[in-house]
Amino acid sequence: MTDNMKILVVDDEPIVIKSCESVLRAEGYNVEGLLSAREAMLKMEKQPFDLVFTDLKMPEVDGLTLIRWIRKERPDTGIVVITGYPSQETIKEALELGIIDYVPKPFTPVALIDVAKRAVDWIKGPPAVDKEKEKEKEREELPPSMLNEIDRVIDQYKGKAGSSIPVLQRCQEIVGYLPPSVQKIVARGLGLTPADIHSIVSFYSFFTMKPRGDHNIRICLGTACYVKRVEEVLNKLMTDLKIDVGEVTEDKKFSIETVRCLGACGLAPVMVIDDETYGAVTPKKVPDILREYAVKE
Amino acid sequence: MENYRANLLLCAGTGCVASGTPKVTAALREELEKKGLSDEIKIVLTGCNGFCAEGPVMLVYPDEIFYQKITVEEVPKLVEEHFLKGRPYERLMFREPEKRAAIPLMNEIPFFKHQVLRVLRNKGLIDPESLEEYIARDGYLATAKALHEMTPEDIISVIKDAGIRGRGGAGFPTGLKWEFASKSQADQKYMLCNGDEGDPGAFMDRSVMEADPHSVIEGMIIGARAIGASKGVIYVRAEYPLAVERLQRAINLCRESGLLGNNILDSGFDFDLEIYLGAGAFVCGEETALMRSIEGQRGMPRPRPPFPAHKGLWDKPSVLNNVETLAQIAPTILNGAEWYRSLGTEKSSGTKVFALTGDIRNVGLVEVPMGIPLKTIIYDIGGGMKNKKKKFKAVQMGGPSGGCIPEDLINIPVTYEDVVKTGAIMGSGGMVVMDEDTCMVSTAKFFLEFTADESCGKCTPCRVGTRVMLDMLTDITEGRGKEGDIEILEDLSRDIIATSLCGLGQTAPNPVLSTIRYFRHEYEAHIKDHWCHAGICSDLASFHVIEEVCKGCGACLRACPQQAIVGEKKKPHRILQELCIQCRSCYDACKFASIKIEPAQPKEKPEPVAVDQGGSE
Repeated sequence: MTDNMKILVVDDEPIVIKSCESVLRAEGYNVEGLLSAREAMLKMEKQPFDLVFTDLKMPEVDGLTLIRWIRKERPDTGIVVITGYPSQETIKEALELGIIDYVPKPFTPVALIDVAKRAVDWIKGPPAVDKEKEKEKEREELPPSMLNEIDRVIDQYKGKAGSSIPVLQRCQEIVGYLPPSVQKIVARGLGLTPADIHSIVSFYSFFTMKPRGDHNIRICLGTACYVKRVEEVLNKLMTDLKIDVGEVTEDKKFSIETVRCLGACGLAPVMVIDDETYGAVTPKKVPDILREYAVKE
Repeated sequence: MENYRANLLLCAGTGCVASGTPKVTAALREELEKKGLSDEIKIVLTGCNGFCAEGPVMLVYPDEIFYQKITVEEVPKLVEEHFLKGRPYERLMFREPEKRAAIPLMNEIPFFKHQVLRVLRNKGLIDPESLEEYIARDGYLATAKALHEMTPEDIISVIKDAGIRGRGGAGFPTGLKWEFASKSQADQKYMLCNGDEGDPGAFMDRSVMEADPHSVIEGMIIGARAIGASKGVIYVRAEYPLAVERLQRAINLCRESGLLGNNILDSGFDFDLEIYLGAGAFVCGEETALMRSIEGQRGMPRPRPPFPAHKGLWDKPSVLNNVETLAQIAPTILNGAEWYRSLGTEKSSGTKVFALTGDIRNVGLVEVPMGIPLKTIIYDIGGGMKNKKKKFKAVQMGGPSGGCIPEDLINIPVTYEDVVKTGAIMGSGGMVVMDEDTCMVSTAKFFLEFTADESCGKCTPCRVGTRVMLDMLTDITEGRGKEGDIEILEDLSRDIIATSLCGLGQTAPNPVLSTIRYFRHEYEAHIKDHWCHAGICSDLASFHVIEEVCKGCGACLRACPQQAIVGEKKKPHRILQELCIQCRSCYDACKFASIKIEPAQPKEKPEPVAVDQGGSE
């Protein structure tokens, strides 16, 4: 785990060095200690360290000077500050110089190990990944037929300005919803970031990140339907199917969505199941309508 | 073209289709075949006729006999009587409830009698999928005139003189918009159509796109010519699949016949357009938000200026017009500004389409001259309340940006100016009629829920303000209202209106302000008396039987889901308050109005008082 990480501890108090050495060595790190910043610079000129733990207040050359020197001469070295005076000002300055973390003195062995571990992880960066493999991983979530179709849609719109919404609409038609994997594939295909795509998916109510049931029930919450008390119909639907708006029944048969207006106000209250429009729906009619679909296979 | 003895114009609008047009069509076809009439009588599926409540409806041409609520079972009789024996079939004709006599002719039915059709000139008359039928009704004549005989300045001056105002809501003069864009210099300009009808309760744009798609396209071609645009986009809601299909078909037909593309009608003018599907965001009705959406971004508005006429879609000069606005361009170019101004008032000329819905009898789409009294629309055309025993309370106009107009203002002429004076707005033309069983506080809350949900979140007054107002309204409807809440709501409303970035926020408080203005007593009753008079807010109502009126019919007893009603037949019933959940079922079930709604009962019974004051309960 520690991969023989080389750590240099710089502090004018020998006891701090001693305790750091014993704690970190026990964790498998390769640790050296020095009592002044000057010595540290001389040492580092000769050999690199992965991580430097340094005090801020030291005679002659202080910690901030050492940090500045390291950033310049050994920019790859990670820096952690140990300080008994974590004043806002000095910490802020140290942070601006790019330190990874700091440990306030006095510290417990556990705290030290914790900070060291986090700093090491930081230096190593995220685990190196095979970009191609990553791509495959998302694609594994979808059957090849859908993938081909998605690729086709992307090719068709690629390079066309403002194509993200139409592409997403088509992809939702293909997959039924827009899980993160699909969003990533679309983002990559159109040369956008997943964040760009997600910002669109989350903004427009037409897009959904949840799968729908075999039969999607859309219920209109427009004014005319409101006046005709569509809420009672919705409540009946929710109790009968035992789901809330935006959910899917256990057997995956039905899902309920609300729409702001279906533009069929003359028939209020209105609901649409798949492509079938039902007008003047009352709570009483709900079970019969659902039965039609329950038998349909 | 073959000659038919009669044409059966069957409505295939969304409403009638849901009411059974496909089945009726199949039955008619079969029956005509059986009787050997298929060569003489032609079935035409048209766009929305407008009289949605009576669907499926059919108009027989040339007799102009109107049939309604046609069922499959009645089809054989209908065919036999009308088309074999030549006797119009009375049973399926429209009847006014008070009068017994059937009204055979469409134009004599009150719903149609008061209407003047300009935008909806082709509704229910032509097959929306046929270019020839549109052309037969003077279609694309205006395009030829505009491209060959008029300069862009001529076109703009006709539209300006006519006084056409944007039918999407704000009522901005269309001619001015075009003039600004035509004067902008740019290598590319865009002509856009807003078909993202988001106003809940309005469906005229859907109807026009479905019933007469070419009228929109023609308006766009003429507009494009006026501003010098070579590209156009129609932004349509994805929830309107039929409209998209019909528009796409119409565009394809136009391309094939040289009405779209390069060198339209040999005039040297190039224009083509495409459809862009919206993805469901109310705020995209705002022009800058809609343009961002076409660019593939979140549909968030931006401050104006710069106005789209200078920097719009892709930063190029653009004009965005509403569907209904565009549909009136062609006849105006053809007939001139004077013709357009012959209807309506000085400042609100022409006609306006309204979607009549709610607790009204004749639900549907109507087109009337501007300036017509609101009362005429509701009582003469709309036929009054659906439930005759209920009183009219208010009509909501302008959707989430509008307000409620109460009964004592029902005589106002319907014009942009007069409607605004009431605190409502013309909006896109949704008219939702409410009877006395409506709770105005809940209605305001309904609209706030909508706007709070649809707020794009860009500016704080709208994002946070609408949420705070909604929370307050929720408190009021659930019995947690406090003295002073009404004043805070009014203050907040003013701040949100003054500081929001776009039309959505600037108008979001309107439903609250207008209901406070006319129904302040209802707010007060909710807050002070814990009493929702309509019984809609279940925390603020209790239901009681008026014993003197109760006939003991048992209707309420059967309707009650809680078995909270007891009583013997023909004797006054009683509601057990401990079991009642205030669902209102008994109130709706009672035919004798013997259920009264009183303030909420205290939830817990008060503790017995230690000191006996003597005599008190």
